[in-house]
Amino acid sequence: MSGATPIPPRAERWRNRAAAAAVIAYALITLLPILWIVQTGFKTPPDSIAYPPKLLAEPSLEGYVNLFTTRSRQTPEYIAALPPADGWVDRLVRSRNMVVAGPSKFGQRFVNSLVIGFGSTVLAVFLGTLAAYGFSRFKVPLKDDLLFFILSTRMMPPIAVAIPIFLMYRSLGLTDTHLGMILLYTAVNISLAVWLLKGFIDEIPREYEEAALIDGYSRLAAFRKVVLPQAATGIAATAIFCLIFAWNEYAFAVLLTSGEAQTLPPFIPFIIGEGGQDWPAVAAGTTLFLVPIVVFTVILRKHLLRGITFGAVRR
Amino acid sequence: MSARSGRSRRWPRVLRRRPWENAATATIGAGAAMLMQPFSLDLYGWSFAVILAGTAAFLVVSHFPE
Amino acid sequence: MTQTSSLHTLARRAGAATPPVVAARVRGLSDRAVAWLFITPTMLLLLAINVFPLIWTIRLSFTNYRANRPNAPLRWVGLENYTSILSDPDVWHAMQTTAHFVVWSITLQVLLGFGLALLINRQFRGHGLWTTVILLPMMLSPAVVGNFWTFLFQPQTGLFNHVVAFVSGRDPSSFQMIGDVTLAPWAIVLVDTWMWTPYVMLICLAGLRSIPDDLYEAAEVDRAGPFRRFWSITLPMVLPFLMLAVLFRGIENFKMFDMVNLLTSGGPGSTTEVASITLKREAFEKWRTGYSSAFAVILFVTVFGLANIYVKVLNGVKQR
Repeated sequence: MSGATPIPPRAERWRNRAAAAAVIAYALITLLPILWIVQTGFKTPPDSIAYPPKLLAEPSLEGYVNLFTTRSRQTPEYIAALPPADGWVDRLVRSRNMVVAGPSKFGQRFVNSLVIGFGSTVLAVFLGTLAAYGFSRFKVPLKDDLLFFILSTRMMPPIAVAIPIFLMYRSLGLTDTHLGMILLYTAVNISLAVWLLKGFIDEIPREYEEAALIDGYSRLAAFRKVVLPQAATGIAATAIFCLIFAWNEYAFAVLLTSGEAQTLPPFIPFIIGEGGQDWPAVAAGTTLFLVPIVVFTVILRKHLLRGITFGAVRR
Repeated sequence: MSARSGRSRRWPRVLRRRPWENAATATIGAGAAMLMQPFSLDLYGWSFAVILAGTAAFLVVSHFPE
Repeated sequence: MTQTSSLHTLARRAGAATPPVVAARVRGLSDRAVAWLFITPTMLLLLAINVFPLIWTIRLSFTNYRANRPNAPLRWVGLENYTSILSDPDVWHAMQTTAHFVVWSITLQVLLGFGLALLINRQFRGHGLWTTVILLPMMLSPAVVGNFWTFLFQPQTGLFNHVVAFVSGRDPSSFQMIGDVTLAPWAIVLVDTWMWTPYVMLICLAGLRSIPDDLYEAAEVDRAGPFRRFWSITLPMVLPFLMLAVLFRGIENFKMFDMVNLLTSGGPGSTTEVASITLKREAFEKWRTGYSSAFAVILFVTVFGLANIYVKVLNGVKQR
């Protein structure tokens, strides 16, 4: 430090302020599309496609009502002859000269997303933890090649994989079933789970298990009582990454499911109103779809770097 | 690891991993560039052969000792 | 608490008393058995859902099979599918469209992402919160993102047109991003850049944080200017991380399907028809299964080759 000319602290402080301003400006610009979609969910259909776009529109829950119901158009006379509306949903729908015909498929698709997401996550994390422990602690022949093979399965283009999977599932009767999608997402997620968890388990000192083995634990008991509790954070982070992937996945879902087991990503874009896409309903569906992801991102922020580099870069 | 270092005593110096791996990497990169370049249909036609050769070569040479 | 500390003392005792090899085989299943027991289920699943279908694809790629006519006679056509793909100007055009998308989106992401990382690395107050905000887009579903950007790109009423109009003073109805032959390829680049700049930023930030402070102190002793410091310390130290981000984004964008399919679905015409969309059309709309299997194998091998390079870089970064 001796010969250097130190930067005056005042100038340094101003540079920091400029950096902060630039970063905040970028963050606000990047947030704008998301905020706009959330707000569109609370607009009426005419307001959502107004020219010029309405920055402030009267808030309305019509998008959410349209998301959860199917409606049919009726003549004003028919509606006037109906018994008085019960509840705000009926009143809102009737003000558009329509009556509620029944629930939409959104709820069922949401449940599909949850079932397939959690099912595949549990399986992938369970199998992944075992394999990661195996690769982390034991001499496995061709270890590097096996690990590379596992990672390469995640890199494969989904459409290319989907062609044979489509044929295979068709002959096994797994097309458009929860089981089929859970198995498929497990296979895609397991590579991430093995790599991430291997990174986490590598960090647990081997001495802990060795001490337990000396104490008379078997290998399996040492794994369960010593390694698993130590790896709990890593397992939770890995599970969230797997869940996010399964929740977001589109290519396999659109090619292999059409009804029974369809998840949200292929469903949301095709929420149709009269005369094209019902944008407030699409925006409402998108908002409900994004909320869990935003929550998970905040929870995961310390582990994101690991997650996107398969556990290689830690901090 | 010990088996590998034992082998490396007899392993010819010309066949160290680093330069061969770099050559295979360059071949794969060249193949990918040929696949997507907008200049020559002939280059595009040969791109897959180049990528395949590069990838196969990489799989072999990445098992050479350091 | 007490459990961990007793484990600590145990560990110390064990480390002092016994070599690990003895410790490993006290009782229960042998280590070898446990290793195989733990790894086999994963390998079996991957064999069933990845390797077996892959072999099936390779087999189909030498036939004229069509999935919508499973009972038609199967004919072996040798390398015909490969030669027709590799001499087809339309497929070549799709590869160029992919190249335009990959090259431009990654260039923009590297410039923006690296720039942001340099700024955030100054650790001003509140940088953690804003970093999390910036990271949001990359966690979203590409399909849902593609879908809601069609709304932002709506001709006349879309927010994007009006923001551009506000900044540049042009008429918001004078251009449309996804209906226009020249602008549509840029629309997918733009959305991809919005979504994945945070990815490059996060990895570059890790690279910046891996640089030891004494390197800069030494440079200060040498009276190196800021430009010189960036060029001879920052850039070379961050480069492996940058390579990691570029390779991964390159592979991902090379096979990009979901976002583009929902944003433009390849249109207008075939101006945004990237490789995966061509593949989907051949496989699931024209049902030329044999032909599309050959195309899938070409994409497979390319991605597999690039994945080899990626893992090589990954291992290089890991060792630091």
